[in-house]
Amino acid sequence: MIIHGKWYPPESSAQSVATLSITGDDYSLEIENQRLRAGRLEDISVSDRVGNIERKLVLSDGSVFATDNNDDIDKTFGDRNIIASIIHTVESHTGWVVTALVFTLLFSFSFFKWGVPWVGTTIAHALPQKTNELIATHTLDFLDKSMFKESELSVERQAAISNHFQSTVLPLESLQQDIPFKLHFRKWQVGKESVSNALALPSGDIILTDAFVELSKNQAEIDSVLLHEMGHVVKRHGLEMIIESMLVTTAVVLVVGDASGITDLGAGLGALLVSANYSQSNETESDIYALDLMLKANMDPIAFANILSRMMEREAPSGDSEVVDESKEADSNDENKDDNDKSLLDYLSSHPATAERIARAQRYSQCFRQQQTDCSMSER
Amino acid sequence: MRPLEFEGSGAEYFKIWIVNVLLLICTMGLYYPWAKVRKQRYLYANSTFDGRNFEYHATGKQLFFGYLIAMTCFIIFLILQNISPLSGSIVLLLFFLATPWIIWRSLQFSTRMTSFSNVRLAFNGSLGPAYLNFLLLPFVLLLIVYVIPASAAVTLTMMDDISAAMIGGVVAVLALVVSILGIYFYAYLRKRNTSYVINGYRYGQGVFSVDLETKQYLKIILKTFGLAILSMIVVFAILAAVGSAVGVEDEFSAIQESMQESAKESIEDPDAAPPGPPPISGSFAILIGLVYFFIILVSLIVSAYSLTRQRTYSFANAKLDQNVSFVSTLKARSLAFVMVTNLFAIVLTLGLATPWATVRVLRLMLNNTLIDTDVDIDRYISQQQSEQSSLGEQIGDAFDVDIGIGL
Repeated sequence: MIIHGKWYPPESSAQSVATLSITGDDYSLEIENQRLRAGRLEDISVSDRVGNIERKLVLSDGSVFATDNNDDIDKTFGDRNIIASIIHTVESHTGWVVTALVFTLLFSFSFFKWGVPWVGTTIAHALPQKTNELIATHTLDFLDKSMFKESELSVERQAAISNHFQSTVLPLESLQQDIPFKLHFRKWQVGKESVSNALALPSGDIILTDAFVELSKNQAEIDSVLLHEMGHVVKRHGLEMIIESMLVTTAVVLVVGDASGITDLGAGLGALLVSANYSQSNETESDIYALDLMLKANMDPIAFANILSRMMEREAPSGDSEVVDESKEADSNDENKDDNDKSLLDYLSSHPATAERIARAQRYSQCFRQQQTDCSMSER
Repeated sequence: MRPLEFEGSGAEYFKIWIVNVLLLICTMGLYYPWAKVRKQRYLYANSTFDGRNFEYHATGKQLFFGYLIAMTCFIIFLILQNISPLSGSIVLLLFFLATPWIIWRSLQFSTRMTSFSNVRLAFNGSLGPAYLNFLLLPFVLLLIVYVIPASAAVTLTMMDDISAAMIGGVVAVLALVVSILGIYFYAYLRKRNTSYVINGYRYGQGVFSVDLETKQYLKIILKTFGLAILSMIVVFAILAAVGSAVGVEDEFSAIQESMQESAKESIEDPDAAPPGPPPISGSFAILIGLVYFFIILVSLIVSAYSLTRQRTYSFANAKLDQNVSFVSTLKARSLAFVMVTNLFAIVLTLGLATPWATVRVLRLMLNNTLIDTDVDIDRYISQQQSEQSSLGEQIGDAFDVDIGIGL
């Protein structure tokens, strides 16, 4: 067999046209019909095949014969490196490539959809409660310095809510001894607007803003939101989010490391969408946690629906068409239509459409009126 | 003068890429070094000039230990950053102190693993200048931009009787001095960094050299600034026009507020999620989408402009052995076009267009790199070099260290 190619002396860039003749286990190399080198095939080292790139054959004296005649090289030298030739076989057959593509797509989808949340939950709950407190060590101090002002609620009002929380709400959670839950009251202003909100830190600190307390009409509404916030802490959503974001970052670095720098922008957008999706499912989980406990404690879950819709109205002035439309749909409990209305923005927002959450609380309230203590069946 | 060429195809590279991704998944990332070798070998071997090609010589085994250590560091850093911001910052500081070393080792390793026409490249710069160029001088720039204004502000507040006009005058003069000094120093820094890298390159016994002037960099940077400001004005005009068309003027204040709010939310603990959703309406969403789109567009165009101008200037002044010269014909317009369309293709295909994007950028770069044709390529000989570990290079890979010389 004769293979045409180029020849380089050892370590040199001088290039000459050459032919490699192979008979049995022996080879001879010729340049311009002059026999230059000869020897046995086993003394030649051959580079692995990648696509159709030129193959380099290093002869025993260190000189190099290069050729793009890949097929004859494969025939002559066979499978010097089994793994590399298997990989090349996979790369060069359309069927295999399509299989690889389908598998990669399915895997990536399942990895982000189920794998990451599963690993996040598993690790978050395997770690001791101290870790949960550790990640929130200075968070409250930081929030106090940067966002919050001291509460302007009367001391009596604060004490009443705190006492009720300690005596009635906390005992509903059997894990309460492990987690040092504590209530805080703060004023939170953005511009002239005071923010109506409740926040929970992984350490068990729950913060109620003045505007939120003023917005609530009764104790049951405050309790329902407190239970929702406790859900975040008990389900360790803070730790989960950290672990999930670490997983996503590592996966993205691995795959993007295989691409050009501009992909970073697209990957960043993707990671944002994915993590917004995770925190949505956390909100849902906390809601169900709170609603379940309310049913067990014989509290009407309608309180949660009420405070949610009032917060939504407050955030969005009545002129805002889209939000109002959505809440109307929720009122009529037309859920199919609601699902169809899910826009990209619902995924961008860290909370599921509030209408959906209100509808769920209303569903639970129906269960409550029918005196059921388990409404989880309605969660399909 | 003739350009370099790329002889591969996006379709062929896609097959290699997708099998790489599949094996990365199956091995939970451990295959990365071998994946990188297959990718580099394909891309290098298809880059040709005058019937000769480049070659990538590193093996998966060689990269593996560097990769393991780098990945471990990266994961430890991620964990520390999340559970204790203080120790995370200390690690980050250590990392900055190591950056010049990482750059230096990356340059050494990647050139050593590259050959053209059977002769190896090399990098001959030393570590000391790397520290000066990539740590000390950038630190001086930081001092100019932050410390001078800060100390001036402190002095001003300590003086008792001082008129408002005087304060205004001092501030104006100071702003002028700081921006002139800062920009000039930045131009000087770019010149030094580029010279360090190019002057360090070797091809066999051949020595690369470049003679650059701060003045030219100053011109490029000022023009880049001008372009950035101009495109920002255009973007604001477009946004205002679109805004009045869809009727979102009333929402501008609302947007501002929610932006402040979301900025605050992002510093919160992720657990501290408020129960109410932000009010997002259709026109607001369009506006956010447009803003995002324009920010990406403008930053790609501006960086394409700055990169191509600096490339053209440094290539024109670079020489191999005083007799081989280079020309870059890369146009900002074509680079920006390829970058923007690549970004869209990658986002729309959820990353599957990445191999085509890589090939497009590489082909554009190679086709716009011209080399003297009278050069006698046959006379070069590889020089003896000591073997090096891939650790620095792999850390640089994991933490995305970019020296931004743009060759």
